[in-house]
Amino acid sequence: MKLKLRLNGTPHEMDIAALKPDLELRIDGRSHALRETGGIGALRRARIDGEDIAYHQARSGNRAFLHLGGRNWIVEFVDPRDAAREKVQGSGDIRAPMPGVVVSVEKQPGDPVTAGDTILTIESMKLQTNLTAERDGVLAEILKSEGDVFEKGAIVARLQEEEDSDA
Amino acid sequence: MGHDTPPFKRILIANRGEIACRVIDTCRRLGVETVAVHHLSERDARFVRLADTSAEITGDTPVAAYLDADQIIATARETGAEAIHPGYGFLSENSNFARAVEAAGLVFIGPAPDTIDLMGDKIRSRQFAEKNGVPVAPSVTGGEDIDAFVEKAASIGFPLLIKASAGGGGKGMSIVEGQQDLLTRARTARSEAERYFGDPTIYAERYIERPRHIEVQVLGDGTGKVLHLYERECSVQRRFQKIIEEAPAGHLDPALRDEICAAAVRLSEAVYYRNAGTVEFILAPDGTFYFLEMNTRLQVEHPVTEMVTGLDLVALQLDIAAGRGLSLDQSEITLTGHALECRVCAEVPEQDFMPATGRILHLDPPAGDNIRFENGLREGTDVTLDFDSMLAKLVVAAADRPAAIDAAKQALERTVLLGVETNLNYLARILSHPAFRDDPLHTGFVAEHEAALAEPDLSPHEAARVLMAAALTFREFRTLAFDAPEPYASIGGWRN
Repeated sequence: MKLKLRLNGTPHEMDIAALKPDLELRIDGRSHALRETGGIGALRRARIDGEDIAYHQARSGNRAFLHLGGRNWIVEFVDPRDAAREKVQGSGDIRAPMPGVVVSVEKQPGDPVTAGDTILTIESMKLQTNLTAERDGVLAEILKSEGDVFEKGAIVARLQEEEDSDA
Repeated sequence: MGHDTPPFKRILIANRGEIACRVIDTCRRLGVETVAVHHLSERDARFVRLADTSAEITGDTPVAAYLDADQIIATARETGAEAIHPGYGFLSENSNFARAVEAAGLVFIGPAPDTIDLMGDKIRSRQFAEKNGVPVAPSVTGGEDIDAFVEKAASIGFPLLIKASAGGGGKGMSIVEGQQDLLTRARTARSEAERYFGDPTIYAERYIERPRHIEVQVLGDGTGKVLHLYERECSVQRRFQKIIEEAPAGHLDPALRDEICAAAVRLSEAVYYRNAGTVEFILAPDGTFYFLEMNTRLQVEHPVTEMVTGLDLVALQLDIAAGRGLSLDQSEITLTGHALECRVCAEVPEQDFMPATGRILHLDPPAGDNIRFENGLREGTDVTLDFDSMLAKLVVAAADRPAAIDAAKQALERTVLLGVETNLNYLARILSHPAFRDDPLHTGFVAEHEAALAEPDLSPHEAARVLMAAALTFREFRTLAFDAPEPYASIGGWRN
């Protein structure tokens, strides 16, 4: 089984090739060596491919926050179960990209929609954003109404399952 | 400055976050006691801890609590504060609040309420500026008599921006390059205005390509004495909000700077301005400049001015409010070096600067003589949608503009702020862009360089380094990598 990680929106796969003498990892098919060399609190040291690096790290849920090489990074650990679920459901779910509140609902269940159509308008820190359909389809349900608050990643609306047709 | 006793014994700060911390900092130095006001959700915030005392204020939302003038004034009286510092935002430019503070026998650390009214009114403030010899962008409104409108519009000069008076969002808006298109475009705009907004009135103004946002810091004591502390440039904006400011402006002709500063002083003198204030202008590439508005409060970006003038604007605000006037003269205000401010925000630049939430898990800001990291953060602070997305201001000064850009870039790279997505990397990319260094800025900078400012692709080597460091933080990985029993080591791979 491979570990799935996401960095800057790009998925990566990591596999342990050997545990000794040093950890040997395969990332996206390339081989790398990793050894932890110490650290206190958020500051850590590691030897990566023969190079000593120091970095700051903190973890929250499935996200690792790093400060490495003068830049900030967020790496997401993709739970294989979530990934499987996503695949089955396709892109019919309309998720909130940030926490906020629903300002207006533009479509009703049963409405046909075209990719790019605004389904709901949300507001977050005084900024309004339109949530749009990712593909053509028919709106199956709207899970939030005007004034409802939601967390980042919440499913706010759903399109009907795509029919497999050869047309 | 030069006073042995503090300007006030105790003041209340009707604000929160970094600006409350900033005001407290000066108060401590001057021996002024501080009262903070906080919403329950922020009872452990940094500004609450720094203040001598803090009182809880309540409201339907945290913001509502800070907009509750009666409650804040009552708190000031109960806690024995003599004056109220409003910071920026919230009630800082609310004339009714200023009046109520005065009516309660307290001092409002700000301008006279009538000044707030005048400068808060777009139309009246423009007329006032024009009357006092401060240039305003020529414009014409009309459309009923299309020929008269066209004639007046043509006299403004080209290019012209024509739009629906009632409108926004680009509908019925067009840029007219010359006389030949004017009549047709005005007719189209009028019919679109009618169709979209139900009002055929149209508006034309000089269209300024590549406009710069230049603003002048002023100080007035209320008697007509006004000083300027030179200009700031705030052209780098996203979603119409400033993200990088600097003092002085780069690539600005000294004679033009003097002219702009003089206009700001003229306006402020005419209104007998009291308090620190900012007169904002739009500067066109041809050197013409127009009055935009006056902000009658301390500005978010005031630290860049402090770093190049060596003055403490909050201390000066307190002196003026206490009736001590301005002991400085214009000749004593000099510019040394160059300062830049980067607004560190909880947001995702790659997703149209969408706000982000989280919790500050680790904070290790850069430090140094010429670095200020203005913030109200502690480890454990929740970053929520209750307030603005600005987390901190990184302010850096150096001998000249190129050195300040380099120093600010280094300081951004040294800023460790973990637990929420921020624009730190993005800000560093702006400072690294050759156009930021070499060319005059303009308010469309971020849009113009969108592609160049995008997150660059990572090399596989770079990505692998980050992924490995990240993997070490995940329990799932550590279990497999370090806790695995011996046989797994020889088999390799993962087993469920």
